[in-house]
This record gives sequence, C-alpha cells and structure tokens, in this order.
Amino acid sequence: MIEDNEFEALVEIVGPQNVSREPAILDTYAFQWCAEIINVLYDKPPSRYYIRPAAVIMPSTTEEVQRFVRTCNKYGLKFKAFSTGLGPWNCVSSERTIQVDLRRMNKIVKIDVKNQYAVVEPYVSGAQLQAETMKFGLNCHMPGAGPQVSPLASSTSMGGPGFTSASTGFAGRNVLGVEWVLPSGDLLQLGSLGQKDAPNWYSGDGPGPSLRGIMRGFMGAKSGLGIFTRVATKLYPFPCDPKWVMRGESPDYKFDIPNYMQFYVINYRKWEGLINAIRRFEEEELGFMCYYASSAAVLASFSGSLEEFMSQYGLHTRLKRPLTIMITAVSEREFEYKKKVVEGLIEETGGKDYTKKLKIRDISYAEALRCLLGFHGFLITGAFQSTHGGMDTIDVAFKLAQLNVPLKKEYIAQNVIANDEGEGVWLATYEHGQMAHCEMPTMYDATNPESIIGMTKYAHACDEMDLKEHLTIPFFVEGDKQHEWYGPHCMNYHLWLRKIKEAFDPQNIADPGFYITSKKET
Amino acid sequence: MTLELKDLADYQDIMERCIRCSMCKWIPQVQIKSWKYAQVCPSIDEYNFHAYSGGGRMIVALSLLTERIGYSEEVLNIVYRCTMCGACSVSCKYLNDLEPAEVIEALRKKIVEDGQGPLPAHKKYVQAVETRHNPYDEDPPQRLAWLPSDVKVSKDAKVAYFVGCTASYRRKEIAIATARIFNKVGVEFQLLGEEEFCCGSPVLRAGEKDLLKRLIERNINEFKARGIEKIVTSCAGCYSMIKAEYPRYHKHDLEIVHTSELLEQLINEDKLKLTKEVPLTVTYHDPCHLGRCSEPYQEWHGKIVEPISLVRFPVPPKPIRKGTFGCYYPPRNVLKAIPGLKFVEMERIKEYAYCCGAGGGVKAAFPDFALNTAGRRIEEAQDTGATGLVSCCPFCSTNLQDAIDANNVDMKFYDLTELVLMAMED
Repeated sequence: MIEDNEFEALVEIVGPQNVSREPAILDTYAFQWCAEIINVLYDKPPSRYYIRPAAVIMPSTTEEVQRFVRTCNKYGLKFKAFSTGLGPWNCVSSERTIQVDLRRMNKIVKIDVKNQYAVVEPYVSGAQLQAETMKFGLNCHMPGAGPQVSPLASSTSMGGPGFTSASTGFAGRNVLGVEWVLPSGDLLQLGSLGQKDAPNWYSGDGPGPSLRGIMRGFMGAKSGLGIFTRVATKLYPFPCDPKWVMRGESPDYKFDIPNYMQFYVINYRKWEGLINAIRRFEEEELGFMCYYASSAAVLASFSGSLEEFMSQYGLHTRLKRPLTIMITAVSEREFEYKKKVVEGLIEETGGKDYTKKLKIRDISYAEALRCLLGFHGFLITGAFQSTHGGMDTIDVAFKLAQLNVPLKKEYIAQNVIANDEGEGVWLATYEHGQMAHCEMPTMYDATNPESIIGMTKYAHACDEMDLKEHLTIPFFVEGDKQHEWYGPHCMNYHLWLRKIKEAFDPQNIADPGFYITSKKET
Repeated sequence: MTLELKDLADYQDIMERCIRCSMCKWIPQVQIKSWKYAQVCPSIDEYNFHAYSGGGRMIVALSLLTERIGYSEEVLNIVYRCTMCGACSVSCKYLNDLEPAEVIEALRKKIVEDGQGPLPAHKKYVQAVETRHNPYDEDPPQRLAWLPSDVKVSKDAKVAYFVGCTASYRRKEIAIATARIFNKVGVEFQLLGEEEFCCGSPVLRAGEKDLLKRLIERNINEFKARGIEKIVTSCAGCYSMIKAEYPRYHKHDLEIVHTSELLEQLINEDKLKLTKEVPLTVTYHDPCHLGRCSEPYQEWHGKIVEPISLVRFPVPPKPIRKGTFGCYYPPRNVLKAIPGLKFVEMERIKEYAYCCGAGGGVKAAFPDFALNTAGRRIEEAQDTGATGLVSCCPFCSTNLQDAIDANNVDMKFYDLTELVLMAMED
C-alpha cells in the first residue's frame, strides 16, 4: 500500500506516465519465472505470482534514480530494481516496496574500441551490445540466461556464467568501472571511475575505490545494496569473421556460418575420459566454448522444436558424457592449426567424434555466438530451473555432477521432474579451465502443483547435498532463511554479509529479500 | 468449427506457461543487427510498463480470468493500446510455443462479452460497419466514387477485385492504380460496389464476435451468389481476413490473392511488362496483415502423448503459426522488376517487421500512439537512404503518410500499384 502523498512524490520525479499503482500493471511484476518455486520454498501455494509491489516506477536518468531513492528514505518505502527482469529474484519481497523498472535507461553510453570496453545502462541487452560491438570486430560476454538479458545486471548483481565462459569468463570477471546509487541516494563510482582527477571506466579495481567483492559477493545482491545505473564491461576480439548473414523466415533461419567456426561434440561415455579430456582441451586454450552438457541437453540445444528433439532422442543412449567444443579462428592458418589440435586431442583422450552424427543446424552457430543455446531448455516442458550452480575447480564440478545423478533419479521416479536419467547438467569451464561452473538444469511443469512442489523439494535436496558433500555454495542461497541455514556451515559468512548490508543500508531500504537483511541474527 | 477462436479460459495453460523472458519485446534474437532497431513491439516502446507487452498482456489476462484484478480504465488501456500486429507471437515462437496474440484476441472478446468494451471510438466504427457496411460511416452508394469512367469492369467475371473500405473511401489512388493495371494487362474483374461490405477486420480487432460472424457469413454468401471464384485485393487487412480468419468461422473454397502476388505472377508469365524507368531509391514496409498475420490457421486432430515424463508431445505434430509463410517475396520481386528502381531493405523486415502503428483499433482510439509508431518506422526507412517508402496496405499507407506529414519528413509514400503503373507504358 502506498499513500497518496507518497505516490505523488514519485510522480513528481518521473511524471505520471512513468509510475503506476494500478493492480493490472503491478501484477505483471509479481508474475515471474520460477516465482512458484519461491512461493513453495516460503510455505505458500505454488502460484506463478509472487508479491505484488506497492507501485512501479521507471526513471530515465541516474539523477532521477537518486531522487527516487531519497524519496524512499523520506517516506520509509523500500525499493527493488531490475533491468530486463527475468527470474523471481527480480520480485519485491515485502509490502510497501516499489519496483524500479529500469527499462527507460537503455543507452550504450560508449564503446571504447582501443581499450576494449563498453559502458552500458541497465536496459541494454546482450544482443544489442553484441550487435554494436561486432561492428568494431569486438564481442561481449553474455550470460547463459540469453541475449535478451542485461549485461549490467549480470555484471553487478548476478552470477553470469555463459556458454563462452571458457574464453570470456563470467560476468563478474568482466565488470570494470561502475556507477552505483547507494541506498542513501548518494552516488558511488567504483574503480577508475572513482578517481578524483580524470575519472574513466577502464578498470574495476583502481586507481580509485575497489569494492567489487562488496558489490557482488558471490552471486550479487539483487538490488539489495542499491541501484546500478551504468557499468563498463570488458570486450573481446570477435572470435571469428564478424559477418552476420541470416536468410529465410522464423523459425527456419539459415545462417551463413562465418569463416573459421567449428562445433565438435566428442563422446567419452565414461566420466574419467571426459574429465581428462576437458582438462586437456582447456590446457591447450582451444575452445571459444568448452562445456559438458548431458546428451539430452546437447540434443535439445541443437533442436529447433520439440519434434526435432524427439526425432533425435534415440541418439541419447549412445551419446554419453559428451564434450562440446567450439573452435574459432581469425585466419585459415589458425583454423587449420586448431582443427589439427582437436583431432589430435580426440585421439589422445580416446574420444569419438559425434559431430556428424548430430544434426547441427547452421543456425546453431548463430545461437552459439548469440548465447541462445540455453534457451532451448524451455522447448521440452516449457519450464526449467537449475539447481546447485556453484563455481569451483573442475574436480569439484565433476564430483557434483556425478553425485547428483542418484538424487535426481529419486525425484524422476516420483514423476515430478522430467526424465533425463538424472544426468541433466551444464558444466562450463571459466577462463580455460581455471575454474568451472556446474548447474543441473531440471525440467518440470510450472502448471502442475505436484511438479512444482516436487521440483522445490528436489532443489532443496540439492542445496543440502552441497553442504553435506562439501561442494559449493549453490545459486539460490539468498534471503535470510537460506543464508541463516547455510552460513553456520561456511565460516559464518552470513554475519559478514549482514555487516556489509548494515554499513551500506542500515534502514533496510533496498529490498533484502534475495540478499540479506541488516537485522541482527535472532 | 475446430479453428474458431477459443475463449480466454481455453488459454489459461498457455498464460501460466509464460516465463516472462521478454523475448516478445524484441525481434528474434538472432536477427538483431543494431541497438536502434532491436525492439519489435510498438506498445511497449510507447508505454514501457511490462503490461504493455505481449507477455505482459498474457499476465493481465490471467489476472482477470482468475479474478486477481477487476476491470479498470488502465485494464482497457492495456488491452486496446495494442496494434495486434502479431510480432510478439513471432518472437515468442522462435523458441517457444505460446500464443500471446491469440490471447490478446480472446481477451478482447471476453471484454466485450463482459460488457466492458470496446472503447467508444471502436463502438462508433463497429456501429458504422453494422449500419453502413464500412467503418468510416461513409455512404454505401459512394463506395465506387473512386472508379474512373474509363475503367472497364466485367460484371460476370469469376475474379472480383475486393477494394476494401480504406481504398474505396480514403486511399482512392490505390484502387484506381489497381484497376488500371488490371485493365492494361487484361485481367477481367468484377466489383461488388455497394454490395461490398467491410471484410470484418476492424470488428474482429474490437472483439465483437457476433457481428463478425454475421459479416463473414454474409460476405461469403455474396461471393458465392455472384459466382466469384477468386478474390484479388489490394488491402492487406482484407487479405488476411479472408485468407486466414474467415476459415476459422466459415470454411470456404475461394482463392484469395493479394495484388502483389498477382502482379508477380503476371510478370513471371510475361503478361505484365515493366519497361519505363522509375529512378527512385525505395524501401518496403511489410504490412503485418500481408505478412505474419496472413498465415492460415490449420486444423489439428491428434492427441498429446507423454513419451518422457512431463514432456507433452503432440502426435502428429501440431501446426503452429510462426509467421513463416506470410506474403513476403511477391512485393519485393515486383519492386525488383521495376527498371531504374533501387530497392533497399530496412533492418526489421518480413515476419519481424515493425508495425506501422495503425492496426488493432489504435488509429481510432489512440491516434498519438499510432502516429508515434509510424514515426519510428519512417525513421527506420530514412536510415536506409531511401527517399521513397512503399507498402501494400491502404491502412498502413494512411498512417505512414500521416507520420510523414506530421513530422515534415522528406520522404514520399507509394503503394506498390502506383509504382507498377509508373513503370508501365502508356
């Protein structure tokens, strides 16, 4: 509930057309991907709607964001900001919370070609940024969530692993200078942007204040520490010929595969072979992409429809423990060299090249460049969510992948999640094997209460496994309840997280629901 | 009828499956070539709140259906500030199978059934269609006022030129050019004159199903009574209605052809010779109703099986309209056949073309929104370097021309038929 005078104060900042407290408008911010899981987690019915915000506001400048935050301070309103807004962590978590939709802050502020970075506002999407940087022969990292999501949100507030993490790291590794509106309404500029003289965006860690760890922590504060209004993100040389020629009509597009790109799907059948192979391939720093996805996941990511997936499904019994690699090059010579190394490594590691047995469409190459392969997961049941999701060493990632199989099979037997034989996994290396990310995509039915409840129990069991088996902090340890469960097992990190929250936001004005509150632990 | 529009409740499962990914706001992701022309929904571009997107409207519809919300002025704004261009559905269905455009249509139907709509501006033209058979409330006997005395009409021809209300009353130059081309190449056609009633497009967009059904029934009967076997129209709206929408209510075996398709055929058969130079650089705007919305619905008789737990698989595969089979190439091929004419493409084309902004009752009820949208499209056209903008729809023509005038833009609008006529020998 928001009082009339409070609402009027918001109107004064952005104008009447950019703020609303209409239930019909607000409901569209309460409805979210996987909100039903969060509801069940918090002992509520498995509704697709989470909590309805008190109002929604759409500022267009940093100054408007600051004025808005100060107004929240004045009236004791909480706020929750999002950029493109995919996922339940974008929802408000309590009454009297204003949703900040940053859609109107949508500019690419700068592309510094020489120094290879771009400065973006919250509502610039990955695809938009890539399309513009390609014109200069450059590329950006995009998170696995897809090209439609915000690089700013991913860099400042989320995990941000992606299909190209082997060569582009994860979003948190790519963030440089940051412009941050604190819960007080003050502006904080991080990294080289915070220099008194000659501020610029080129570095996240100085000269100037380096607070990257405070800002992001493990998986980001999800607006729990304020609102990020601009961020600089690293750019990389475009991995191959940056031409983009598409023919035909949706969904049957034909893509002219640029010169010097090649997918490989290499079958290993056994864990030992796969683990050895991923290490060897990454030692050679070969792959633009390098990941392990289960056979069903590989088939789904290369299928354009459920029918296409089903038509290839028979292959999954033969395709076990496949490694997917994409090599790219900027010259014929480099390309030939890499192909030879791949062929040599396949022989050395005892793999079998399955690439030609799969129907890899040319559009899959475009989807690989544009980070759209993960979205194919929705083709199968219409809903999926990943469990686990930590980042650690390759050893831990594979231990996790193996341990999860019997657990997942228990829930498959209950018919609450789709049957991928327990093997659904996406395990991507970061920075050529320096680290690895492992999550377990799990398909369920978001319209079936039994499936939702079962999926939630399974997700919780995965979190428990991470603790019991000393694996990693999973994706979705967020909010007081989860942190207070996990913290005591992990050096009481939650107490330190809480101290950060208290220092930056003593009034809890930035929605802590998917971060942590500043209250003392009870 | 298996194809007939379903009730909103029939879409509950689809609405609940929305993942709020926002793909519906963008052109298909693999087609994005720039920051500037990445978005596809005029409504969210104008109003920004998520409710004003295809996915957002599905959530609003679900909230209404499940009585989480009631009717309000804002609800009606959300529902009717949509051009029903179908772009959201194309983008959604690149990798998913939801039906935001069908949900919006069903939502409008429910609003009318609940006595909450349509808006006054829509009621006015719906009333005009009912009483005067055109949405402009023009005099029916004046329907053929555009017809030059030297144009030859064959009253017993099996081919009818269905002019459409907008070309008959507002964009007469299109009707005149079309009829003259037909005369020149020897295409015999009849005109329905005063007996040509509105195709029903504005009635469908307003959600007035009862009148729509009567209109469709009446029109098909009229075509049959006149011995018409083939209908040619220069209006994209009439084309998609008769081709894609009519069979949902009343099966028919009429052949429906857009002028661009007929012109392409005539060129290919060497019956239409374009010999005069037209020294222009032009770009082409795909009308939504000639393109993605003209794809026919297909019946499906099958069952859902579960080959893998929770995987609902239709057997045989269920045909899904994805915008793949719209009429995209005939207008382009005709343009390419015009001597001296340089044709350049905009960034958003074919199934992911940006709407002109006029459809869905927007031009009548929200003229500023319509004009702003057309302004964005004109800007995209200008960015190609073209000085001429071509299209194949009288309603697009009206709105785009309005935006050219309102913004004082140095660009000239042409209907395809006008350029063809310019390229023909006298």
